[in-house]
Amino acid sequence: MSKLVTGDGRTHIDSPLMRESLVDRRVLARTDSPGERAILPHVVLVSVGGQSIFDRGRAALVPLAEEIAQARKTLGTRMIIGVGGGTRVRHTISVALDLGLPTGGMAQLVGAMEECNAIFLNTLLAQHGSITMPRDHFWELPLYLDSGILPIVISIPPYHFWEPPPEQGPLPAHGSDFGLFMHAEVLGMEKIIFVKDEDGLYDADPKKHPGARRYGVIELDELLAELPDETILDRALFRAWSAARHVKRVQIVNGLVSGQLTAALAGEDVGTVILKGARA
Amino acid sequence: MTGDRKSLDSSLGTSSMTSAVAGLDYQPVAMMPEVVVLKIGGQSIMDRGRKALFPILEEIAAAKDRFKLLIGAGGGTRARHIYSIGSDLELPTGILAATGSFVPMQNARMLQMLLARHGGIFILHDDFEKLPLYFRLGCIPIMTGMPPFRYWEKPGEGSRIPAHRTDAGVFLSAEVLGARRCLFVKDEDGLYEDDPKKRPGTPLIPRISASELLARDLPDLILERVVVEYLTRSRFCTEVQIINGLKRGLLTRALEGEDVGTIIYQG
Repeated sequence: MSKLVTGDGRTHIDSPLMRESLVDRRVLARTDSPGERAILPHVVLVSVGGQSIFDRGRAALVPLAEEIAQARKTLGTRMIIGVGGGTRVRHTISVALDLGLPTGGMAQLVGAMEECNAIFLNTLLAQHGSITMPRDHFWELPLYLDSGILPIVISIPPYHFWEPPPEQGPLPAHGSDFGLFMHAEVLGMEKIIFVKDEDGLYDADPKKHPGARRYGVIELDELLAELPDETILDRALFRAWSAARHVKRVQIVNGLVSGQLTAALAGEDVGTVILKGARA
Repeated sequence: MTGDRKSLDSSLGTSSMTSAVAGLDYQPVAMMPEVVVLKIGGQSIMDRGRKALFPILEEIAAAKDRFKLLIGAGGGTRARHIYSIGSDLELPTGILAATGSFVPMQNARMLQMLLARHGGIFILHDDFEKLPLYFRLGCIPIMTGMPPFRYWEKPGEGSRIPAHRTDAGVFLSAEVLGARRCLFVKDEDGLYEDDPKKRPGTPLIPRISASELLARDLPDLILERVVVEYLTRSRFCTEVQIINGLKRGLLTRALEGEDVGTIIYQG
């Protein structure tokens, strides 16, 4: 039984952190341990790019939606979908920058553009059992997954007005790639597939630098040592991944090439595969 | 055929937005710079009960028509109990951040009940955009100090405790509102070189820059470390003040702009 402890003017509940400063490094270290519970393992998170897929409209999106529906049927993968916002997010930020809105104000605005894409994708997948899932339905994921429903989750993390001051420039640092990464990590999922319009991650933007080199299979540590200036994923994702415990594999595939996503879901090393701790 | 990207023309164009965009002309606008964001400590004030809290509330009630006060509530010993059980279960940081959010919420509600007759209203993160209305009506909005990150709180190295707790949330509220200074009401005279409750005689630091404080790398701090880190690069909230709420009159003096307690400033 927990007991109450008084005597210093405060009323404490007896616990190992009682009376402690939660800023004290000596105390913080006591909360750590090597293990961590995986809450919803063996679920794959698939992210569909905004600029790369959605902004191309029907030509890119319809075949990809069909591939998702088909792969789910044949492979039986338990998966969650997230979506990016694309060019409307860039336009929003561009206007907000010109208006001088604070960084937290910009972060408050951008999620709306991604929710539109979630609805678009849902119109294509609803007949196969998809549902757009509001953020506060977080703990209903097992219900959806066990009943064969494909949840399309909100990808922008809820930092909103409270977006921390960025390290460089005024743009919010916590975008949809990061948000989806955290979604997977906190639930103990091990595998994320980002569907974009390039064959993977390159050492420079291949649309601007035709000679850019594509990474095949690479360890996170190796990649971080030479992380390109402009990457296909949020930088905040890579940083969070370094301290993370569950996500082992982040794969980037080309959604414009039929079959790449299915191959990735089947475990094949198509596109770029970034691994954490595989060679440890 | 895979279709062309249908892009909107804008200054960010087809930028990947994953690296700093050069050459942006950005002149930020302060939303409500006159608001004073103040935090009432959980373990330091709320867990002491009536004896510590009532005099502070009297000062707040007396000051509320002179200042626009936004109050953020801290957590305290029940939050520590949650973090302790959560760590024992080896749960991820995001779960601790989500469950740790409930205690400051309770404390905010307690503060609201006590300040109701002076216009105290309990607000949620989603009510933030209604702040002008609340101030226009002479209310004292009271909210949880926790930022809304919850399951999306980043894991840290060497600890499961969420890095962004109520100090960070209160600081970030001040930053987005464009307030220059935010105020932390705790139970010590300010910032010390180490925890004065455990090591009496530790010297008080009345004024220090955020970068110097980071460089000193103290084992303990009276404020969450991320706040000091963000102070080095914030655009609006460039000072935090930590005062002792157990000493009568200090809060009022701090509201009037006096440098009581400890000031940590940008630099």
